[in-house]
Parts: sequence; C-alpha cells; structure tokens
Amino acid sequence: MATVTGVKGKDRWLLPLSAILLVMGGLLGLQVHTQSLRPRMEIGRRTSALGEMLRSNQTQVEAYKKEIGDLRMRLAKYETTAASDQGMTKLINEDLQASRAALGLVPLKGPGITLEINDSSLPALKGVDVEPFLVHDWDLFEVANELWGHGAEAISVNGQRLVAGSAFVCSGRAITVNRVLISAPFVFTVIGKPDTLMSVLNTPGGELDKLRGYQLRVKLTRHAQVEAPAISVAPKFEFARPVVEDVAQGVTQ
Amino acid sequence: MIALPILAFVFGFLIVYRFIPTLPFELANYVALSILAGFDALIGGFRARLEGKFDEAVFVSGFFVNMILAGVLAYLGDKLNVDIYLAVTVALGIRVFNNLGRIRGLLVTHREYARQTGDAGQ
Repeated sequence: MATVTGVKGKDRWLLPLSAILLVMGGLLGLQVHTQSLRPRMEIGRRTSALGEMLRSNQTQVEAYKKEIGDLRMRLAKYETTAASDQGMTKLINEDLQASRAALGLVPLKGPGITLEINDSSLPALKGVDVEPFLVHDWDLFEVANELWGHGAEAISVNGQRLVAGSAFVCSGRAITVNRVLISAPFVFTVIGKPDTLMSVLNTPGGELDKLRGYQLRVKLTRHAQVEAPAISVAPKFEFARPVVEDVAQGVTQ
Repeated sequence: MIALPILAFVFGFLIVYRFIPTLPFELANYVALSILAGFDALIGGFRARLEGKFDEAVFVSGFFVNMILAGVLAYLGDKLNVDIYLAVTVALGIRVFNNLGRIRGLLVTHREYARQTGDAGQ
C-alpha cells in the first residue's frame, strides 16, 4: 500500500489501458447505438407487419364478398325457377330455404334483446393494469356461448352474424369476427324468447355480473322485434368434403 | 500521457457508433453484461496499479476472458432457463463497488501521507 505512485508500473500501464479502453469504447458505442434504435425499430417492425396482415385480409374479404354476391344471384335465379314448378322441386326449395336460414345466409327477424357492452368508464390509474377493464374477445365468446346455450336462435355482434365457425379473435384493440374487425361498443342483437334471455344474462354471478364487477358498461334491452343480418362471408370448405352415402348398398363411399 | 487512453476510448466509441451497424436485439443484453465485466476488469486494474501490483498480462487477459465469459454464461443461462445473468450482474456489481471502495481508501491514504510529508501530492 506504500507504493501508491507506483512509478514501476507507469509505462507498462498506459498501452494495455489504451487498448482496453479502445475496446470498451467500441462496445459502448455499439450498445448505445443499438439501444437508441430499439423502440423505433420494434414499433416500425410491428406496425408494418400488422398493416401487411390487415391489407391481405381485407383483399381476401373483398374477394369473398364478391364471390358470395355472384353465387347468391345464381342461387336466386335457380330458386325462382324452382318455386314456379310444382311438387318435388317445391319441396327441395323449402329444404334449401331452411338450410340457408340455419347457415345464416338469410337475415332473420323476431322478438329478442340487444345487449351493449363497452369498456369501463373508470379513469385509468397509473400502475394499475387496465386489461380487466376492457372488453376482451373471451368476454364476447362467453356471452355468446351463454346465449346459444339458453335458446338464442340468431345472434349478431356489431352487424356480424354468428354462425357455425364464427370465432372471436383478439386483434389488438379490436376483435375480429367473421374476418371483419369490430370494436367497442359491442352490440349483441339476439333473437329468442326475451324473458329467458334476459333472465339468463342477469343470473347472479353470471356473465354480465362478472363484467359489471369490473365497471364495464353493460346495457340490456328487450325488443318486440329485432333483426339479425345475413352473414357477409359464408364459411368455405377447403378440406372438408360431404360424406356421400350410397343408399342402395348402405356403403359409405 | 493520460490523454492516450482517453483518446482511445473516444475514438473507439465514435468509430463504432458511426460506422458499425447495430446488433440484433437478442445479443444486446449479452453485450451489456460484457461491458459490465470489462468495467470490472478496468476498475480492478486501476486498484492493482494503486497497490503497486499491476501486471499487464493479468490485466489484459482478465479483461478479455471475463468479458467473453460474462456474455457466454448469460447466453447459456438463457438457453437452460436459469437466470445466470442475475448472478453475473450481482457478482460483478459487488466486485466493482468493492474495488471502488478500496481505490477511494488508497487515494485518501495517499493524500494524507502527502500532506504530512509536505509533498505536493499528485
């Protein structure tokens, strides 16, 4: 401890120190440069990827819509021809109409309810997680499930008819249903027996109670007549094929 | 004389900052640890010099080996899902503060010694 000024090490110290500081400086420069670009690059990368996804989805939706319009026109032509005939064709046409209604391809109307769900109106607090106070895809899913389970005959959310294969997919601040983005407030239009639907939704400890617990804004209204629109994009079968049964031989082909 | 290391530092920083592309973000965390290890070696070398025990071979090898080890260990830890980077951070942090404390002690002793002997000090 006595040789504080250590003359002995003076010259030997400078060169390695310089070399090391050169490396340190370089590494620091690299790190500072990388970190300074980090937020910008991450945001840029994410938004461009999302934009790309949105664009490709929208073109797909447009293509589907056009295809469906064409098909519907053709179908309507067949139907008018068929309806003018008698007997068998008329029966087939009735079957067809029932199937189309079940598939959500025709608008339906009848008594029912509307249910509006919106994000909480509480002010956001610093340090408090806001997620529970927003409407999520699973909230809509659970409400729809509850409705289907208790006699709802047709459901649409923000104009999107729910059919077999409709899914609620979280897409950032919005939710995708039937490949269409919808956002809060979410309005369910439900056809069914209003009393049953109201009481199911208002069950203590039920779905709406859960949402109200987080101060989400929920508005339930009974209507003598509501209308559920037709689905804008019908489900398409790319892999699934109908199983054709040979009735005469009872053999599945 | 003291200008040479400082110039080297500034030169290294500017060259890399201006002319070398950035790292992939996955590697940035490991480089941060390496920088901590390098800083530890630097402080350790300074202390050794004040104690008169400085050896350039130990200094230079310690600098590079610790630097690489810190990054590699943290990387391995991430691969094994063990938070080795925490161990590296804590171990190096403690060493840096210990060494800084010793350096401060040595400098104070030196100043008092200089005052008593009427030396001009440094």
